[in-house]
Amino acid sequence: MAFPVVLYFLVFKYLPMYGAVIAFKEYTVGKGIWGSEWVGLQHFRDFFQSYYFWRVLKNTLILSFYQLLFGFPAPILLALLLNELRHEMFKRTVQTVSYIPHFISLVVICGMVVDFSSRDGLFNSIITFFGGESSALLSEPGNFRTIYTASSIWQELGFSTIIYLAALSGINPELYDASMVDGASRLRRVWHITLPGIIPMIVILLILRIGGLMEIGFEKVILLYNPNVYDTADVISTFVYRKGISESAEFSYTTAVGLFQSLVNFILLIGANRLSKAVSDNKLF
Amino acid sequence: MKKAWRKRMLLGASLLLAVGGLAGCTGGADGNKNAEGAAADGPTPISIWASLNTNVSITLKNMSEITAIKEWEKKTNIKTEFQHPAVGAETEQFNVMLASNKLPDVMFVYGDYSKLYTDGSIIKLNDLIDQYAPNLKKILDENPEMAKQLKADNGDIYAIPHLRLGKYKTFGGMFIRQDWLDELKLEQPETIAEWETVLKAFKEKKGVTAPLLYGAPPKLTTMGPAAANFLEAYGITNTIFLKDGKVVFGPVEPEFKEFLTTFHRWYQEGLIDPDFATNDQKTFDAKILSGQAGAFFTYIGGGIGRYLPALQEKEPEANLTAVQFPIVNKGDEPMFTGRSWEWSGAGATITKSNKHPEETVKALDYFFSEEGHMLKNFGVEGVTYTMKDGYPTYTDEILKNPDGLSVVQAMAKHFIANYPFVGEDDDRYNEQYYQYQQQKDAVTLFSKYSDNTLKVGLPPVSLTTEESSEYSKIMSDITTYRDEMFIKFVIGAEPLENFDKFTAQIGKFNLKRAIEIQQAAVDRYNAR
Repeated sequence: MAFPVVLYFLVFKYLPMYGAVIAFKEYTVGKGIWGSEWVGLQHFRDFFQSYYFWRVLKNTLILSFYQLLFGFPAPILLALLLNELRHEMFKRTVQTVSYIPHFISLVVICGMVVDFSSRDGLFNSIITFFGGESSALLSEPGNFRTIYTASSIWQELGFSTIIYLAALSGINPELYDASMVDGASRLRRVWHITLPGIIPMIVILLILRIGGLMEIGFEKVILLYNPNVYDTADVISTFVYRKGISESAEFSYTTAVGLFQSLVNFILLIGANRLSKAVSDNKLF
Repeated sequence: MKKAWRKRMLLGASLLLAVGGLAGCTGGADGNKNAEGAAADGPTPISIWASLNTNVSITLKNMSEITAIKEWEKKTNIKTEFQHPAVGAETEQFNVMLASNKLPDVMFVYGDYSKLYTDGSIIKLNDLIDQYAPNLKKILDENPEMAKQLKADNGDIYAIPHLRLGKYKTFGGMFIRQDWLDELKLEQPETIAEWETVLKAFKEKKGVTAPLLYGAPPKLTTMGPAAANFLEAYGITNTIFLKDGKVVFGPVEPEFKEFLTTFHRWYQEGLIDPDFATNDQKTFDAKILSGQAGAFFTYIGGGIGRYLPALQEKEPEANLTAVQFPIVNKGDEPMFTGRSWEWSGAGATITKSNKHPEETVKALDYFFSEEGHMLKNFGVEGVTYTMKDGYPTYTDEILKNPDGLSVVQAMAKHFIANYPFVGEDDDRYNEQYYQYQQQKDAVTLFSKYSDNTLKVGLPPVSLTTEESSEYSKIMSDITTYRDEMFIKFVIGAEPLENFDKFTAQIGKFNLKRAIEIQQAAVDRYNAR
């Protein structure tokens, strides 16, 4: 029965991988993938020596790190807060409202963010209301990371909470009853019962997140950035997009860059898994 | 025995699946070919990749529906099937199409024809033109200068061209709010200093936020035409050009720093639209139509034809007129006018997948015949134009469209004169296309110095595949860097003292090699 599954992966996942060899070749369309000449690691060297190498690597890592640092704990926090709510109607309303943005298309979300950040947009109205000065928020390199991270949290917060809420519902209520008899405060109960109850879930999701650390939401950066903020916004995948198909057609070079990105992801994933195995018993594989 | 049978079955099934999977990728092309084979007697099917002009897209979904195309099909016994990339994603989709090697029969491209040829995507057309394109051949034989532009260094021809004959070769420039100039009793600015006075007056007396609106749609390159117009006043441009016959890269010249100094001051004083780096077409249009913009770059036809009526609808006294290309010192002549060469650089290429190259070339050549020329520029006689004393005059279908279409839109619906296609432009088209007096004036004004541009503009050179890939690699780094630094210098994020660092960094990207490549190509061109 495994056969169709194996075939699926072979045909749709592994077969296309052979295209990645153009990273080591000087690919021209006419000669085809196999006919093109081998150039070894030339494209990798070009990328590492490129003026933009450190910038795109740094931006990729920083944006991912921000996502992780602020984006990862946010739904846990919301789940814990929701869990403490006793008013069912209110709880449900909060939940519904918070996960609506998840169902809005990314293009629309980004359109909204761009609109909100414009000179006469929502954010500037708030800023000027409090006496600040209005400016084109998305054209200042210093703002990009904040806007990017905050809007990601806003979009995904509610939906990511669901999985933690599910984990929370699996905690044995007797534990709470027992601790209440022992006189534990609410905060203590969260700390000693609720949180440990969802730790395995947190760790697994964290490992998965780290594995995709470098795969920073490419569409979102494309939709939000402009040449003005390349300094803080240009990431590996957008760099690949521009060099590969948008501005010039350096297929081989950009394949090499993309391959490099996957390699770093791979190392991070293995590393995170190892680390988690070492410090706790949780692991992905 | 049984086991072996099962094994074979599995192998067979997996092969079938694999083949099926692979075939799925090329299904579209295969489908075409089958259809072609079956239709041996009927019209020849030709698939054509071309970007869909925005004015066409207002009334039609596909260029096959254009009246002139339908007529063309009838006359030349072909059946066209146009493939249009999404608007705004043309380059991306073109590159992806090339990489996947699934090509239509004909591609309309701007660009690196030699590279496309050596890559094996398109075929050489010399013999085909000799045999099957008598009309085009005649034109090329009679106009050696034009033939020189079209032919690669080795004499190859890769495209059936779009040719610009006649006097209208400059299509855009700076436009200004004439009503404000009149109100403030100001003359049209000529020099950079006069521009500054005018923009200041707009800022202070009219209170506008974007005296000089800029950021150039549709791709909004910040170093785009508007900035370039002012930069060119200093005698250089934002990319490579010819200085006394030698190839030079504008942004590393000292004049670039002078220009940046001016623009930085203008930015600080609020004379330039503060959002210049983030404008898109929507905000750009909005600023013009809401009267926040005093001057901006646009095209005579599509730009003014749209802005002027829309603006006057809101503000009846509003008026936009063309301004001559800026200069630094009184008495200078503008050198760069955006004038195009006789060969606009656009044309139809025949791909190697084309099963009917002869028929295709024959069909495309039709547009160079007298009949085809009229069809392309004026549409169908009796429907879109009538002959009045030997002058093709557009009918009300075009000039006062009953469905309320603007002239541009009505033209786009019926024929293909107003954007790159094969064939020649006709002046008589432009004379009627430019409906407003402001447009008619603009075209004379912008054309005044257009011959100068031939001295500084790079001719349509061609690069070898190696050269082209090396050149584009170098230049893609350089232009990214140039555009970013341009913004930083203008808004003051990078002090102008760092200009030398900027030029040094461009040197590190190996500008020297890029210039060498182009110089060699120019030398080869001159030797053609």
